[in-house]
Amino acid sequence: MPQNAVLVLGIGNPILTDDAIGILVAREISNRGFPGVDVEEVSASGIEIMEMMLDRSKVIIIDAIKLPDRKPGEIMRLGEEDFTATVHGSSPHGVNLSTAIALGRQIAPDRMPGEIIFFAMQAEDVSTFHEGTTSSISKMLPKLVSIVQREVLSAPSK
Amino acid sequence: MADGPILSDEKKKTDKKRITIDPITRLEGHGKIEIFLDDNGDCTNAYWQIPELRGFERFCIGRHISELPVLTNRLCGVCPAAHHIASTLTLDAVFNAETTETAHKLRELFYMGQYTHSHIAHFYALAAADFVLGPAAPAEKRNILGVVEAVGLEIGSKVIEHRHYGQKVQEIIGGRATHPVFGIPGGVSKPLKEEDRQEIEKMAKSCVEFGKFTLELFDNVVLKNKDYLDIILNGNTYYLETNYMGLVDDNDMVELYKGKVRVVDPNGKELAKFEPNQYLDYIAEHVEPWTYMKMPFFKPIGWKGLVDGASSGMLRVGPLGRLNASKGMSTPLAQEAFEKMYGTFRDLGVKGPIHNSLVFHWARVIEQLHAAERMLELATDKEITSSDVRGKIDTPTEGVGITEAPRGTLIHHYRSSPDGLCEMINMVVATTHNNAAICTDVKKTAQALIKNGEVSPGLLNMVEMTFRCYDPCNSCGTHILPNGQRAIEIHIKDANGEHLKVLKNF
Repeated sequence: MPQNAVLVLGIGNPILTDDAIGILVAREISNRGFPGVDVEEVSASGIEIMEMMLDRSKVIIIDAIKLPDRKPGEIMRLGEEDFTATVHGSSPHGVNLSTAIALGRQIAPDRMPGEIIFFAMQAEDVSTFHEGTTSSISKMLPKLVSIVQREVLSAPSK
Repeated sequence: MADGPILSDEKKKTDKKRITIDPITRLEGHGKIEIFLDDNGDCTNAYWQIPELRGFERFCIGRHISELPVLTNRLCGVCPAAHHIASTLTLDAVFNAETTETAHKLRELFYMGQYTHSHIAHFYALAAADFVLGPAAPAEKRNILGVVEAVGLEIGSKVIEHRHYGQKVQEIIGGRATHPVFGIPGGVSKPLKEEDRQEIEKMAKSCVEFGKFTLELFDNVVLKNKDYLDIILNGNTYYLETNYMGLVDDNDMVELYKGKVRVVDPNGKELAKFEPNQYLDYIAEHVEPWTYMKMPFFKPIGWKGLVDGASSGMLRVGPLGRLNASKGMSTPLAQEAFEKMYGTFRDLGVKGPIHNSLVFHWARVIEQLHAAERMLELATDKEITSSDVRGKIDTPTEGVGITEAPRGTLIHHYRSSPDGLCEMINMVVATTHNNAAICTDVKKTAQALIKNGEVSPGLLNMVEMTFRCYDPCNSCGTHILPNGQRAIEIHIKDANGEHLKVLKNF
C-alpha cells in the first residue's frame, strides 16, 4: 500500500478528557492537508505504533503526558533519546514506546524512520470520561498545532 | 540460544516495612502493589490497587443505544474488539434481534483476529521474558528485546508478522484496526468479499503454523526446564484452588465468542450453566474500601473474603479459567494440546482443574492455536461470503450480552427507552472477575518469597509475575514520562502504616 514519507501520529482516547490531546492535534493537522504527509489517530502504543512507523522517513508523535512537576498545557519536544525508558499507560500491552522502537531497530533496522519526534503536552485530567479537554488544555491546543505544523513543514532529514 | 534462564540473584536486606512496586512494569495501565511487612520483616499483606477511571456510565446514559459498541470499545486500547463484540451481542438482546448465521460467523472470525494478536503480544512481550530470561535477570533485559536477543531475530519478525495478520483480519471485517465499527443489532454492517476471504484464509494458515511453533517454544523453554517446572508445579506460590468460569458451547467445549456461562468448583464439578440474561442470579459484586475495583463472586456460595477453596465464592476467568470450566477445545490441534496439558497434571495426581496460576500462560498459548484454527475454519466456511448479514430487530428494551475477552468473561447489560436512548448500563469486565484472585495470589507469593525483610529485584518481579499470569487490564490513560528513566516510586511504611520514606528515581 503506498504511503507517504512523513507520518503524523496522534495518540490518545477521544472520550477521556485530556487524553484526547494527540487525537485533536492530529485531526487538525489532517484537516489542513499537507502533501507528502499521512496522519493517523491511534489509541494504542507499543508494538502497534512501531509497526505503523515502518518504511517512513520521519514520524511525529503527539500525545498527552503527566509528569509530576509540570503545569497543564506545557508543551515538550522530545527526541528518541529522551524517552528511552518511558512508561506509557494507554495500551502498551507491556511493550512501551521506547522498547517498541528499540525492537523495530533490532529486527528491521532498514525500515525504521531516520527521525522520530515526540510532542507531549502536560494533561490535567486523563481519568474522567468526557468529550472535550479541560480549559487549560483547550487554550494551549492551537499553539501545539502550530508547533507540530512547523515540524511537518520542515524538510525530513532523509 | 544464550545461557539458560537466571533464576535467583543476590538478595538484599531491607528494614523497610512497606515495599511498593509502582508502576507495575509490562502491564496495561498503571497500578501499584503495596506490600506490608511486620516487625520481623515478614509480609503480612499485599494489595493491588489501581487508579480509577470515572464516569463512564454517566457518559453513556442518554446516548443512542446503538452508539454503545463504538463507545464501549473506547474503554480500552488493548481489547476494544472484546467490548465491541459484547456490546453488539447485548444489542442483539436489547432489540430481540434475529441475528443471521453469517453475521455470527463474521463477528467470530473478526474476533479470532483479536485473540491472535492479543495472545501473541501477551506471550512474547509480557510472559516470555520471565521464562526465557528468568525472573532474576536484570531489569533491562526482562522485556521483548531480551527475548529476541536470546531466541533470535527471526522470532521478533514472526511476532510482528502474525500480530499484523490478527489486526488485518479485524480491519478487513471490522473496518478499522483498533476501534471496530461493524457490529449492529441483528448483524454486521457489511458482508465479506471473496478476495478478502482468500487473504484471510492465507493469513489464518500462517497463524496456525505460528501457533504450533509457539506451543513448541513453550514446551522447550518452559516445560523441559526442570527449574521452571518446579516453580510451576510448586503448591506454595502461584497456586489457588478457586471456582472457574467461562463460556461453553452445547458440548461444553470452550467458546470465545458467545455461548452459555459455565461455572465449576475446584474439583471440576459443574456448579452452574446459565444464559447471559440470568447473570444477576449467579454473579454479585463485593466492594473493598481500599481499592476502586470491585470483586465479583459466585453468588450462590457468597463472598468469603480474600481466600480460595471450594467454600469461597472466588472465581477465576481467562485462559486457565476457560479451559478449567470446559470439557475441551472444539478444534483438533488445540484439543491435542489441551489433553497433553491436563495429562501432564493427571500424571502428577491432579484429577480435575489445574490450580497453578502460571499455567495461565500455557492455556493462553493453547488458545492462541485454537483461535488460529477457528480463524481458518471460519475463513473456509461455505456461508462466510453470503450477503445475508442483517437480521430483523424489534423495539429496544433490555438485554445482556456476554463474550469471552482474552482476559476473561465480559458482561454488558443495557436498558433502553423505546426510542433507543440508553437508560442504564452495567458492565463487569474481565479483569474485575479476577481481582480477588489476583490480590490473594499476590499476597501468597509475597508471603512465601519475602522473609525477614529480605528483598531483591528478582523477588519483586516474581510478585509481578503472579499477576502477569492474569494479563490484567487497568484501562488507565495516565502517562508518565521520566527523563530517561523508568519511573519507580517506593513508599516505605512501618507496621502502623506511617510514612518512613519515599524513594523515587525521577
